[in-house]
Amino acid sequence: MGRLRRALASDHVAGWAFIGPAVLLIGVFGILPIVWGLVLSFQKSDLIDPNTPFVGLTNYRALAHDHVLRIAAGHTLVYTGVFVPVSVIGALFVAVALNRKIHLIRFYRTAVFVPVVASTIATSIMFLWLFDAQYGLANWLLGKIGVGPFGFFDSPRGALYAIIAMTVWGWVGFDVIIYLAALQGIPHELVEAAEIDGASRWSIFRSITVPLLGPATLLLVVWSSINALQLFDEVYFVTHGGPPPYNTAVVVWWLFSLAFRLGAAGYAAAIAYVLFLAILVLTMVQFWVGNKVVHYSS
Amino acid sequence: MAQVVLDHVTKVFDDQVMAVDDLTLTVGDGEFIILVGPSGCGKTTALRMLAGLEKVTSGRIAIDGRVINDVSPRDRDIAMVFQNYALYPHMTVFRNLAFGLRQRKVPSREIDRRVHEVSEILGLDELLKRRPAQLSGGQRQRVAMGRALVREPKAFLLDEPLSNLDAKLRVQMRAELKRLHQRLGVTTIYVTHDQVEAMTLGDRIAVLSGGKLQQLGPPQDVYDHPVNVFVAGFIGSPPMNLLRANAVNGRITAGDLQLDIPGLADGDVVVGVRPEMLRPAGDGLPAVPFTVDVVEPLGDEIVVHGTVAGRLAGSGADDQIPATGSGAELATVTARFDPQLRPTVGDRIPLRIRPEAVHVFDARTGEAIR
Amino acid sequence: MTMEAQADRIAWPEEAEAVERPRRRWLPFSPWHLVLFPLALIMLLPLVWMIVTSLETQAESLHFPPVLVPGSLHFGNYPSALRSAPFGRWFLNTFIVTSTVVVSNLLLCSLAGYAFARIRFFGRAATFMLLLATLMVPFQVVMIPTFLIVKKLGLFDSLPALIAPNLVSAFGIFMLRQFFRTLPVELEEAARIDGASRLGVLFKIVLPLSLPALATLAVIQFMWTWNDFLWPLIAVFSQRNFTLQLGLTVFQGSHDVFWPLVMAGNVMSMIPMLVLFFAAQRYFVRGIATTGLKG
Repeated sequence: MGRLRRALASDHVAGWAFIGPAVLLIGVFGILPIVWGLVLSFQKSDLIDPNTPFVGLTNYRALAHDHVLRIAAGHTLVYTGVFVPVSVIGALFVAVALNRKIHLIRFYRTAVFVPVVASTIATSIMFLWLFDAQYGLANWLLGKIGVGPFGFFDSPRGALYAIIAMTVWGWVGFDVIIYLAALQGIPHELVEAAEIDGASRWSIFRSITVPLLGPATLLLVVWSSINALQLFDEVYFVTHGGPPPYNTAVVVWWLFSLAFRLGAAGYAAAIAYVLFLAILVLTMVQFWVGNKVVHYSS
Repeated sequence: MAQVVLDHVTKVFDDQVMAVDDLTLTVGDGEFIILVGPSGCGKTTALRMLAGLEKVTSGRIAIDGRVINDVSPRDRDIAMVFQNYALYPHMTVFRNLAFGLRQRKVPSREIDRRVHEVSEILGLDELLKRRPAQLSGGQRQRVAMGRALVREPKAFLLDEPLSNLDAKLRVQMRAELKRLHQRLGVTTIYVTHDQVEAMTLGDRIAVLSGGKLQQLGPPQDVYDHPVNVFVAGFIGSPPMNLLRANAVNGRITAGDLQLDIPGLADGDVVVGVRPEMLRPAGDGLPAVPFTVDVVEPLGDEIVVHGTVAGRLAGSGADDQIPATGSGAELATVTARFDPQLRPTVGDRIPLRIRPEAVHVFDARTGEAIR
Repeated sequence: MTMEAQADRIAWPEEAEAVERPRRRWLPFSPWHLVLFPLALIMLLPLVWMIVTSLETQAESLHFPPVLVPGSLHFGNYPSALRSAPFGRWFLNTFIVTSTVVVSNLLLCSLAGYAFARIRFFGRAATFMLLLATLMVPFQVVMIPTFLIVKKLGLFDSLPALIAPNLVSAFGIFMLRQFFRTLPVELEEAARIDGASRLGVLFKIVLPLSLPALATLAVIQFMWTWNDFLWPLIAVFSQRNFTLQLGLTVFQGSHDVFWPLVMAGNVMSMIPMLVLFFAAQRYFVRGIATTGLKG
């Protein structure tokens, strides 16, 4: 006991004893897979056969000739390109509207936040029903204002946009929370000074609020892009990549199918690494561009 | 209770800053010793090494003859009062006081007894169920003291314990601290930058600067016989007046001031005179003309700032001494007068200086010559 | 701006600072209601429609135009749903996995976060950077090898397969470390002088003062684990090892047109999450802000 206590009194021993379990677990389930994934991308593997021969750059060369991957990458880019601006700009307006003390504000905020805690699957089930082509409430409501009917998830050209609508619903509360936090950080004096200078509400919003929310916006653009590029659950469960042939196929859905359904784990690992690099590059570009545009006050 | 020894203790931080430089100090059993100096002088680092919160770079620290360099704080049997009190915010006053005893597995009956004993001494009885956030500054200070007392440790370490109190409370607690020490007689090491606390509380004071011990001794000795310019300028409020001077043939000349000190070697010196030693001259003694700038009546005395011919010497202790502008040979000095005298701004008053009241320091080394 | 500073400023109704300035009123209420009320309806519509449908009869659900108000509240759909699929089992599985993961994260992230915050040990900075770096790697990169590791450990198609990779999160370590660093270090020094061991300092001083951060980590971890779909999809195979999310997909697939049943199942699967959300909204809000701010 005495010896143990004395050993723990040493900063080095105590430090490693404290982080030991965490480091071991993250080593096995966090760092080892990163390395293994890279190794796997140079191998041929179907996840069953223990024999996984090295095939050099074959997997990476195959990327260029993968017709489905090209379609999936296109969809992923369209999805990200629409989802990110829609959700971020939408959240900006919603957050500004919610950033005031009026009656029912608690109810309004809760209504915007609740979808964040709904799982992707629960959300998907709700929207499968809401967007049902035949009996869905959405088509009935849209019909009331003279639009539609739509096929939604059944529509070859509309399915991806139905997924966008659904994921924006589930995600926007997240962005709103972060914008509200940033809005709280804008000093009142700035808004008051602008009012005294005779600025209208709209010009205060444009020339004070939006620029000061710059850091939050950059963060949300980066963060939502990372998540958008990894879209999977909804595609897997709701549309299965369809309507056929591949109208909502996205990159992660394709690499999942390759690894766990089609027996091409080595190739899937190569796609995963390329996706990782793409995300990394996009993130760096976004920060690089963002930091030129965004004004940091402190 | 115990004897505490620091033996050639040095602390060098990771960034190569030498915080404490070869400090040797023996604190006797039951003694109340003050570590005093300006901020950054190493006094707090020395205290933290004693507590075991900082590692000693070299040298030895011993309590009752046992070297404790590598002993963890919990096993040193010392108690510490922090500048910001460091009361556990999530515990009641009772549990704050009891925490140290619980850690040492003292039986709960005994904990109860000691907590109540201490809370009676400190007048905390009514507050035992409250949390720190519900206490006033003075009450928190008492709880912090109580947490140290209740442990009945070998030594108390106090790190500027009164600096967060308002002036009135500080005077009150100062007296209370002294009373407590007289009653309990525990070895106490007290860090402060306030030299009123230094003068009034300690059996001895240790003046530190730049990590080095400058002088160690009873407060009055240090006040009367500062060993160098730093101590002279640091101890005493308002501080000692320090002027540059020149010694030739046993005669010192500083502006209009001339003093004969037989046997003094020729060279540059610094002369120092305490403000209370400057008196208006009346009876034909050698006098220095003094022009009044600022008058601060304090009731029992009047502090007068004014100028004399001469040049100031920095003590290094207090950089706020205003430089005599534009190289003019005028130095600002401070005097303490009887309140009956009512000087007004612009008065020219001849000041008398008794030669035996003058301190003389070597201008180069800063060491006291006389 | 530091993460904590921003996370602590999260807007919450009572804390909201924006003040409606008195203006000339052309409506008996704030015009913002004209925007916010329809917005709230749209956000709540899928949830309300789910609940309404879960109380309808099969015939009412398959009617166009939709039956907005069911003739009677058909609560029988809930027991029917429970009978038509092993929901109990899936609930239990999800509960076991989620609670184990939450408890273990609280413990292991506290220990590691505290060491990274306060103990100066050999290799601290390098180890910390390595852990942080794993946060940048998307799950898709590690999911295939993690599957292989789980298989090698003999855990495939078992609850431990769902638990083991999530026992500790680098995010949690980072979050708690940041929080611990904001606590006054003198409290810990005082406790050490009072005789507390390192573990004593952590458990008696630091953690009691970190309850908001621990609650935040707990609810976020709960949400991630409860709602996770992709890893369970990979790690388990048999229905008896399913989590709710997996079970729901199977249930929906096998009861394709029985929407009242499917919705009843869906409502039940969301209840624990919703209860937690309404009980601990503040921590959700703080946690989400922190999650976002970690990027």
